[in-house]
Amino acid sequence: MVNNFLQIIFDLSSQLKIPAVIIGGLALPAYNVARTTLDIDISINVNSQKKLDKFIEVLKEKNIITKQHPKIDHTIFTVFGLNFEAEIWLKPCDAFDWDKEMVERIQLFFDNVYVLSAEDFILTKLARMDRSSIDISDIIQVLISTKNSMNWKYFRYRLEWIGLESEFKDILKGFELDSNVETREISREILNRFNNLKVD
Amino acid sequence: MDNEKKERAPIVINQTDLDRAYKKVKEYKELLRRGKTSEQIFKDMIRLIQVGK
Repeated sequence: MVNNFLQIIFDLSSQLKIPAVIIGGLALPAYNVARTTLDIDISINVNSQKKLDKFIEVLKEKNIITKQHPKIDHTIFTVFGLNFEAEIWLKPCDAFDWDKEMVERIQLFFDNVYVLSAEDFILTKLARMDRSSIDISDIIQVLISTKNSMNWKYFRYRLEWIGLESEFKDILKGFELDSNVETREISREILNRFNNLKVD
Repeated sequence: MDNEKKERAPIVINQTDLDRAYKKVKEYKELLRRGKTSEQIFKDMIRLIQVGK
């Protein structure tokens, strides 16, 4: 298992039947991308205050505590363990909430560690209100490494759902202008896949 | 009063950004080729996050 802190969080969320996923930079290796990151971000899909209170209670029994009083309509709270701390999100991202399809598309990374689908992960990066150049860099890398396995139809649907097609097209402009002879074919392939064109 | 609509930073990508992204993806593939797994890379990242013992 990964480490005691994460193991406890994922074990307890599993016992309480609360879907939980690693989000943010730490989830990147699930999509064959890596960078140094300073945070543990976990998103949980909990639908009642009672269940959230229970989750906090069982975490406390395992010495993982929060100094806040999280409410079901909050976005985020912090938990502290012995050598780790984590941000627990009650949404996948500050710009949108969980929905059934997103939960169904959660994928197993390893052991009992889960992540969002690559499509939804990219969406969390694109939609966040304080989006930075690091988020854009992460998106580009995930697109490159998952282009063959991504469900592009679902991704297009999500972009429309969140109203960010135009902003994603700004990312695609980068691929359109790729003049590097070693990579421009891959860039073209990404563009073709997004535009639902035949890929050789 | 906070009536201002929040806007995300505009996205502008140049060739350097793209080249850097391709390079990083290539480096990751190289780690996998050498036998590292994504699970191990994840665990390495976790170790970097660990706060004072």
